[in-house]
Amino acid sequence: MRSYSPVRWLVLIMALVLASCSAAAPAAPVAEKVTIRMWSHQNSAFNKVNQELIDQFMKENPNIEVKYETFPYDQFIQTLQTSMPAGTEADVIEMFGSWVCNYATGGRLQETPAEVMSYTKAQEIFYKAPLDGYYCDGKLYGMPNEYNLEYSGALVNPELYKAAGIAFPPEYKDYNGLIADAKKMSAFSGETMTTAGFHFTGGDALGFIMLGGILEQGGNYFADDGKHFNFESKEALNVISTLTRYAREDKVIDPTLFSGDNGLPGAFFKGQVGIAYIGPWAAGVGLVDYPDVKFEYVALPPMFGSEYKFAADAGWGKVVSANTKHSKEAWMLQNYLTINRANALKFNQISGTVPALKELVDNPAEILAVAPYMQPILKLLPHGQYLGNVTDRDQLFYEIIAKNLTDALNGTMTPEQAAAKMNAEANAMVDSKASK
Amino acid sequence: MASPGSLRRSQRRFAFSVMTPIMIYLMIFSLLPMIWAVILGFFDYSPARVGGTIFGLGESNPFVGIRNYLDMFSDSQPATVFRKSVSNTFLFTFLILPLNLAITLPLAIIIERSHARVKGFFRAVYFLPTVTSAVAVALIWGAIYNPQAGLLNSMIRTIGMTPPKAWLSDPQAFVFGIPLAMVALIVAHLWQDFGYNLVIFIAALQGIPQNLRDAAMVDGANEQQMFWYVTLPLLQPTLLFVCVMTILSSLQMFILAQVMTAGGPREQTTTMLMSIYSNAFRYQNMGWAAAMSMVLFGIIMLFTIVQFRFLRSDWEY
Amino acid sequence: MTTQSQTNFSHLIGAVLRYTVLGIGLSVTLLPFVYVILSSLKTPSEIIQIPPSFFPKAPTWQNFITIFNDPKVPLGLFFFNSSFVAVARVGVTLFTSSLAGYIFARYEFGGKGVMFAVIMAQIMIPFQMIMIPLYLILVKLQLIDTLWGLIIPAMIDAFGIFMMRQFIEGIPRELIDAGRMDGATEFQIYWNLILPQLSAPLASLGIFTFMATWNDYLWPLIVITTHERRTLPLLLTWYSSSHGSRPSLTMAASVIVLLPIVLIYILFQRQIVANAATSGFK
Repeated sequence: MRSYSPVRWLVLIMALVLASCSAAAPAAPVAEKVTIRMWSHQNSAFNKVNQELIDQFMKENPNIEVKYETFPYDQFIQTLQTSMPAGTEADVIEMFGSWVCNYATGGRLQETPAEVMSYTKAQEIFYKAPLDGYYCDGKLYGMPNEYNLEYSGALVNPELYKAAGIAFPPEYKDYNGLIADAKKMSAFSGETMTTAGFHFTGGDALGFIMLGGILEQGGNYFADDGKHFNFESKEALNVISTLTRYAREDKVIDPTLFSGDNGLPGAFFKGQVGIAYIGPWAAGVGLVDYPDVKFEYVALPPMFGSEYKFAADAGWGKVVSANTKHSKEAWMLQNYLTINRANALKFNQISGTVPALKELVDNPAEILAVAPYMQPILKLLPHGQYLGNVTDRDQLFYEIIAKNLTDALNGTMTPEQAAAKMNAEANAMVDSKASK
Repeated sequence: MASPGSLRRSQRRFAFSVMTPIMIYLMIFSLLPMIWAVILGFFDYSPARVGGTIFGLGESNPFVGIRNYLDMFSDSQPATVFRKSVSNTFLFTFLILPLNLAITLPLAIIIERSHARVKGFFRAVYFLPTVTSAVAVALIWGAIYNPQAGLLNSMIRTIGMTPPKAWLSDPQAFVFGIPLAMVALIVAHLWQDFGYNLVIFIAALQGIPQNLRDAAMVDGANEQQMFWYVTLPLLQPTLLFVCVMTILSSLQMFILAQVMTAGGPREQTTTMLMSIYSNAFRYQNMGWAAAMSMVLFGIIMLFTIVQFRFLRSDWEY
Repeated sequence: MTTQSQTNFSHLIGAVLRYTVLGIGLSVTLLPFVYVILSSLKTPSEIIQIPPSFFPKAPTWQNFITIFNDPKVPLGLFFFNSSFVAVARVGVTLFTSSLAGYIFARYEFGGKGVMFAVIMAQIMIPFQMIMIPLYLILVKLQLIDTLWGLIIPAMIDAFGIFMMRQFIEGIPRELIDAGRMDGATEFQIYWNLILPQLSAPLASLGIFTFMATWNDYLWPLIVITTHERRTLPLLLTWYSSSHGSRPSLTMAASVIVLLPIVLIYILFQRQIVANAATSGFK
C-alpha cells in the first residue's frame, strides 16, 4: 500500500506540465509580424512547389510568416467542413475548382477584391474552363492554377514496351493499335494479373472517359433540362460496353487488383502498368517520388471517332476564406501563387499540371523546358468545354460513374445494368440536392 | 447519527460546493448534448447554414419531424449506405463474439492451469496488443494484407497455395457469404482485442474456490465433467459480462475499419459509426446523422440495459 | 502399462499440447510486432519489392533518421500534445471522481437522488450519440482546434465517480468520524484520510483513462486540424498518407509511436493487466 497519494503525484505532474506548456508556448508575434496559414491536400509535387514558393514569398515579405499544412485527400473535405463553422480554417486554401461554388454560396469564401483582380480581367488571362469554376453567382472567388485535364494522355513504360518488342515511344492512330499493344504487355501469374497493359480505371480517368466518350460520339451527358443526366443514351452505353470489352475480353486491366494502394500513379512507377491513362500531374509526382524511373507521356487518339472532345472541370487553385483575420496578407499570398507569372509557371512545371494561364500555353517553351512530357496534351486544350454544373462533382465522378463502371468491368453487372444504375443514381443526386 | 447543527451545515456546504460545479459540467457536456442530439434528429440541420435563433434551428435548418427516420427506409444513396452499415455492424458484432470466446476461453483455461511464471508471462504477452493504438494496428495489418508485398500473401505462396487477389479491396471476394474485407478486419480486430477477455477469464477462473474443485474431484468427476458442471456454471456471470462488453465495443467499431479499409470495398466494411461520422462531418447533414446516432444509441441501450439488469446483483460480490 | 504411467503419459501429452497451443498463440500475437520492426529497418526499395522479403537484407536506421530529421515532424511536440491531453484529463478525472465519489458515498443532502440519476445517465450515454452536439458546443465555446477542446469535454467521468463511490462505501465510517473529532475540515478529511485509501482503484481508473486518451482517434479527428496540435494517432495517419510511396517510413513511424506505450506496458505490466482483469471493463 503506497503511503503517498497517486492523485497528489498526478496533480503535481499536471502542474509541471502546465507550467512547461506556458513556458514552451510560442512567443507572441514580434511587432507587426503577421502569421497566416495555407492548407492543401497531400500530393508530393504540389506540396514541394507550394513550399518553395511560400519560402520565396516569406523572403520577399519578411513581416509575413506562412504556415503550410497538408491533409490526406479523403480527410481534406471533412477538415474544411469541421473547421469552417468554428472559424479555424486557414487563411489561404488550395481548393479544387469544382468545390469552390459550394463553399462560396455558403458564405465561406471571400470575394476577390476588385483591386486584386476582376472577373473581366481574369477572363483575359485565364482559360474559361478552369476560371469558371471560381466564378459563382456573378462573383469571383480566387483563381485557378490548373486546367484540369485528364483526357487522352498517358504515361507509357519504356521497359515494358521493349520487353514486348513494340516500338517506343508509341504513336497511336486509334484504339485498336493501343489495345493490341496493351494485350502484349499484360502479364499474368496463373489467374492473377501482375502487369496491366492499359490502366484506365483511376477514379478521375473513368469519369473523364465516360463524359468525354459521350461527347466524342456527338452526344450529351446532360438531359434536355441541363440539370439532370442522361446515361442511358446509346452513346453512353457504347462507352460502357467498349470499356467492358477492354477489361473482360482483351484483359488489359483488372480494376480490383490495381486500385487503392495499388492504383495509379504508384502502380505505374513500380513497373506494373504499360499504359496509364492519367493526367500529366502524375508525371510531376513521379519525378518527385520515383526519380529513377524512366517514362514518357504521350497523347492518345480519341476513343470514339476522330475528333477530340472533352469536358474539363476547374482544377486546383487558391482561395481565401471568409474568416481570415488578415485579408490583405492572404490575398497577397493568393496572388503571388496564381497570377504572378513566374510563380504560376513554376507551379505548373513542378506539379505537372496544365497551366490555367493562357500565356503559359501560348508560349509553351518555358513550361516544356521543365515538363516536356506535357507537350502532347497542350494541343488538346482548344477542344475542351467546361464540365457544367454537375451538382456534386466528387459524388458524380467517384460514387456514381466510377463505381458503376467498375461493376461492369468486373462483370458484376452488364453494361446495360450499369448504365441504368448510373442514370438513376445521378438523377437521384440532382433531385436530393435540389430539394434542400 | 446525531451531529451538531454547524457540522451538518459545513458538511452540506462542502457537498454542494463540490457537486455544484460537477453538476453544471455534466449538464453542459452530457445532458445538453444528449437532448440536443435527440432534437437534432427532427431537423434538417447543417452548420454551414445560419438558421434560426435557438442553436441555429429553424428557418434554413427546418424542422422536419420524423422525416429523417422515415428516410432511412428510402432508396436514396445515404439511406442505402446506412442500412448497409447497420447490417455490417451486426454481422461484424455477431461474428466477433463467438470467435472471440472460442479463442479466449480455452486459452484462459490453459493458462490458468499452467505454472505461475508461465502464466504471468503469457498473460502479459497476450494482453500487449490491447494497449497499442488502433491506428498503428490498422497500418501494420494493412501492410500484412498487401496483396503483392505483404506478409500474409507471401506466406501463403510459400506453402504453394494461391492467395486471394486482394484482402481489403476486392468487392467480389466472399467467404461463406461474408465479404473478405470484413473477414480480414475481424481477424485484425480479434488480434488486437482478445487480450481483454482473456485476462478477465483468467481472473474469474482463478476466483473459483479450490475447495469446490477438490470436492468435485472427490466425487469422482473427471476433467470434462469438471468443466461443464463446475467451472462453466460458476463462470456464468463473467461470461455474461464479457459477452455484453464485447458486443458493446464491437457495435462501436470505427478506427480499424476507417484506417484499414476506409469502409470499403463498396461499403462492405462501413460501420454505423463511420456512416454517422461521414454524414455529420463530411456531408454536413447533422440532422440526418443525429437521427442515425439515435438508432445506434437505441441498440446500445438495449444491450446496456441487459447488462445492468442481469449483473446488478453481481456487483456486490 | 500401469495406470500410473498411463496417467503420467497423458499428463505429458496434455502438457505438450498445452504449450504448443500457447506457443502458436505467442507467435501469432508477436508476429505483427516483429513484422513492423523488421519492415522499419528495410530500405524503401526493398520494402516494395515483389516477392517480398521477411528479414531486411541490409538493415538500416535510415528511416528513423529521416523521420527524426523531418522538419515537418517535430516528434517532441506531438508527444507533448498527447501527453498533455492525457495527463490533464487523467488528473482532473481522478480528482473529481474521488471527491464526488466520496460525497455520494458519505454525505446526505437534498437533491442527492437527482444528481445521482444524472451521473447514471451519463454512464449510459455512449460517445457517438453526443459527438455531434459536442462539436457544435465546442464551436460556440471556440475550443475547436485546441488541445483544451480534447480535454474539457472529457474531464469529468461519471463512471469514475460511480466506481469510486462503490469503493469508498467500503471505508469504515469511524475513520471519518475520528477525523472530524480531530477538528479536520471536510476537505482535509478527503485529502488526508480518504484519498490514501484509494490508491488501487485510482491507479486502475488512471491507467484506463490514460490509455483511452492516448489512443483516442475519433474525437481528435473531429476537433484538431492544425498540424502542430495533432496527437500521435492523428500524426500517424497523416504521415502514412503523405508517404504512401514509401511504406518503410510509415512502418518506422508506427514503431516510434508504439514504442513508448509498449515500454510503459513492459514496466507496469503487472499492474495494468491486474487492473484490467479485476475492473473488468474496457
